[in-house]
Amino acid sequence: MTRTPNRSRQTQRLLAAMLEEPSTWRYGYELLKVTGLQSGTLYPALLRLSEQGLLEAQWREADEPGKPPRHVYRLTRAGLAFAREQSVPARKKAGALLGAKA
Amino acid sequence: MTGGFSRRIARALMRHAARVMPAPDWGAAMHNELEAIADDQVALRWAIGCLVAGYGERANSMLQTWYVRLGVAGLIALLACREFFAPLLIFAYRMHYLGLAHFLGLRTAGDDYRRLIPVIDATLPWLPVLWVAAGLLFLIALWRMLRRSEGSALLFFLAFGLDLVGAVMAKSIEASTGVVVTPNILVRAAGEVLMLSTGVLLWRMTRRRARPV
Repeated sequence: MTRTPNRSRQTQRLLAAMLEEPSTWRYGYELLKVTGLQSGTLYPALLRLSEQGLLEAQWREADEPGKPPRHVYRLTRAGLAFAREQSVPARKKAGALLGAKA
Repeated sequence: MTGGFSRRIARALMRHAARVMPAPDWGAAMHNELEAIADDQVALRWAIGCLVAGYGERANSMLQTWYVRLGVAGLIALLACREFFAPLLIFAYRMHYLGLAHFLGLRTAGDDYRRLIPVIDATLPWLPVLWVAAGLLFLIALWRMLRRSEGSALLFFLAFGLDLVGAVMAKSIEASTGVVVTPNILVRAAGEVLMLSTGVLLWRMTRRRARPV
């Protein structure tokens, strides 16, 4: 099942955070700290991006013994293109605002 | 696996959230992440958020099941019938189909259409047209929902808007004639709540979908 397009502010924040280090695999909790999103918002957004083929996820063994394996995430090639495309209007908007102030 | 009270609550919530989540892999992902959070209070907030996410995902997946769709379709059909009821009663009375008027009157408060004659007489001709239009919009919304076409929720809320206008007009007629069609305020409120909640379900069910890349 695929769902609503990724236009929400929360998803934009997530995409922007993942775009900062596009090749790095990120943990869910790490993404929560970077984006400031709540887990109740973060996971549905990650799930949606994954369903759309914009995000890849894999299991990784924990660094500490006795801890369970963790999911890590990064954008796919399509996800990167999408995130870059999404960030352009935001940059243009910010530029326009700065231009208007100057 | 030790920890304080908050941590134990968080773990219990997380286990539940992981079970509720329709995608088991994602449920396990949320669950395992909890052990990487050092602070108990943060872990508890994390678990509460995951529980919300789990139930949200469960609700989303349930909305796509055939039985929920059938239930919503039934509710919309019921609402359409509700819109056609008053115009049909008015039509039956004015055209002197008194058998039909009597039959319909048995389904009104007081079980007798004659109680409603002052209201029927005071009803302007465009008001039944408004109700019929609302009923037709409900039926079109239903048809579009069943065909999985876009715009069914919009049509539904348009019908809801027409129904509200009709309800306001009916209220003024009731005030002028002194006859209350549905005296039980709870029954009236239940009708509007049912309509609104059906609309919300329909909207959630038919939100625009993004295709996988």
